[in-house]
Amino acid sequence: MTNRIARQIFFFAPAAVMSAWATVMLHTIATGHINRLLSPMFRNYVLTAAILLLVLSALYVLLYQPESETAPALVPTGRLRQLGRWLVLLIPVIAASILSPSALSSTTLSNRSSTAGVTPMPTWNAVSQESAKKALDADPSQPVPVEVTDLITLSQSPAQIAAFEGRKVRTVGLFVSQPGSAPKLVRWIMWCCAADAQPAPVELDGNTSGDWKESQWLEVVGTARFPSTPGHVVPRIDVESIKPTQEPDEPYLSP
Amino acid sequence: MFYAAFDLPSAPASAGISWPDVALSFFAIVLEGAPFLLLGAIISGLVDVFLPAGVIKDWLPRSKTQGIFAAIGAGLIFPLCECGAMPIVQRLIRKGVPPAVATTYMLAAPGLNPLAMFSTFLAFRNQDPWLMVVLRFSFSFLVLVFLGFWLARLRPEHMLRAETVMGSARTKPEMTPNPGLVLTPRPGFSLGGLQQFTGAVIRDFTGVLLFLVIGAAAAALFSTGFDRNLLAPVGQNLILGPLAGILLAQLLCLCSTTDAFIIAAFAPFSISAKIAFLVAGPLIDLKLYWLYRSAFQARFVHALWLRALAATFFLTLLYSLKP
Repeated sequence: MTNRIARQIFFFAPAAVMSAWATVMLHTIATGHINRLLSPMFRNYVLTAAILLLVLSALYVLLYQPESETAPALVPTGRLRQLGRWLVLLIPVIAASILSPSALSSTTLSNRSSTAGVTPMPTWNAVSQESAKKALDADPSQPVPVEVTDLITLSQSPAQIAAFEGRKVRTVGLFVSQPGSAPKLVRWIMWCCAADAQPAPVELDGNTSGDWKESQWLEVVGTARFPSTPGHVVPRIDVESIKPTQEPDEPYLSP
Repeated sequence: MFYAAFDLPSAPASAGISWPDVALSFFAIVLEGAPFLLLGAIISGLVDVFLPAGVIKDWLPRSKTQGIFAAIGAGLIFPLCECGAMPIVQRLIRKGVPPAVATTYMLAAPGLNPLAMFSTFLAFRNQDPWLMVVLRFSFSFLVLVFLGFWLARLRPEHMLRAETVMGSARTKPEMTPNPGLVLTPRPGFSLGGLQQFTGAVIRDFTGVLLFLVIGAAAAALFSTGFDRNLLAPVGQNLILGPLAGILLAQLLCLCSTTDAFIIAAFAPFSISAKIAFLVAGPLIDLKLYWLYRSAFQARFVHALWLRALAATFFLTLLYSLKP
């Protein structure tokens, strides 16, 4: 009896694992959580893989059957080991899909930041330079909609700093407040996935009071400043207004 | 104490670790890797069904030396990511390709492929890009030649897990690439090649997926919890700099098309530290260690790890100490 149940469990385990992975993938896509995990170019691969895994699961159940009763049964230690293998394939990915937060925290921000100052957004092409130039050419009488990374790009050139210093800007990002340092507005730059995401922070000065939670999405309007510190320039916004806002469709910036 | 012993500036205190962020990073790594692993398993299944054993062996040069250079050359021409490579390499070995040649290709493809060189050029375009591309390519090439000749001297039974050699030997379930999977065809539903293909894909995918999950957990833990600024004080040191680059590559476990952008922005590192990072990472890191374990014996992987990192350190140290 025990052998029969064990044979059934081990027969259905591959189909269960592949179906579970496919379900997790499809759920991640359907809920939009995938935008917080992978850069756009990888998302269709996940969808394709999910469909293929469902097809493979169906083919497996259709083409194969549990081992016959006459086949030699595995010893109990072998059974436990096999069960362990299938559970390692099943539990971590389901747990991670449930437990993974909507954004990386200030702890990881601190671990992945460089003490040598912020660096401009790396790009495959001149996108960030074009975006920063657009900000420079915008109507100076209105708050210029910019990304955090535009301010960092502008901070690399003394000429651009001179042209943009004091301009009113509007931007969104994750609020981060760490003891001993100024509050920051952060966007994460992602190459492939969240594991390689790099933070792009801009300091906030002035009235940032409010009941803001860690990593809450905020919209900030204020004046762009580029104060020099030893060795590098740290872009800063002198805050005029600050309010909660929706998470952007693409929470990460992609090069 | 360590920093004081080498008269180095002290590192900032680490911020600790955020376990939810580890979960996020782990989930991202497995979601990114699984489609490529499945693609590798599908190609492996096609090779199993359509490529008769020995055909590839007939195409390969007879001499071991030529075989090693052919494998490095193939790594230059056919880009293959680390996750997708594992099922294919295992299948090629079972189809008769000498393990030394298949392993050299597996090591060469991520680091030497044109996409990795192109991304290096772009990442360093404001920091002497041609120098970085030339150094990355030439050092990677030299390390691969060194590893290739070492691999050519090894006997397959000292490199490979028994199941990698045996394939799907049904008589001993524990000798299959995925011992938890026993494929018993259903009578009356035999679909010939499709059945063989389906079985091979499922066996390879679920077999290597286990190692991807373990490797991704290690990579997520360190890429999220390790404060990279701890290595900043030694990044410019002539001797410790390359070691710091190698260590960072082992912990961050980045893809070879991404790593250049991350390290280019890491100002505290010298050129030799950055090159050490770029050469060592695609060869082996914490994630790849576990992926390699899906096909190779632990003792062999440890020896490969040691030799790959020692060769990288030697070359980057020479560059670091040049007048």
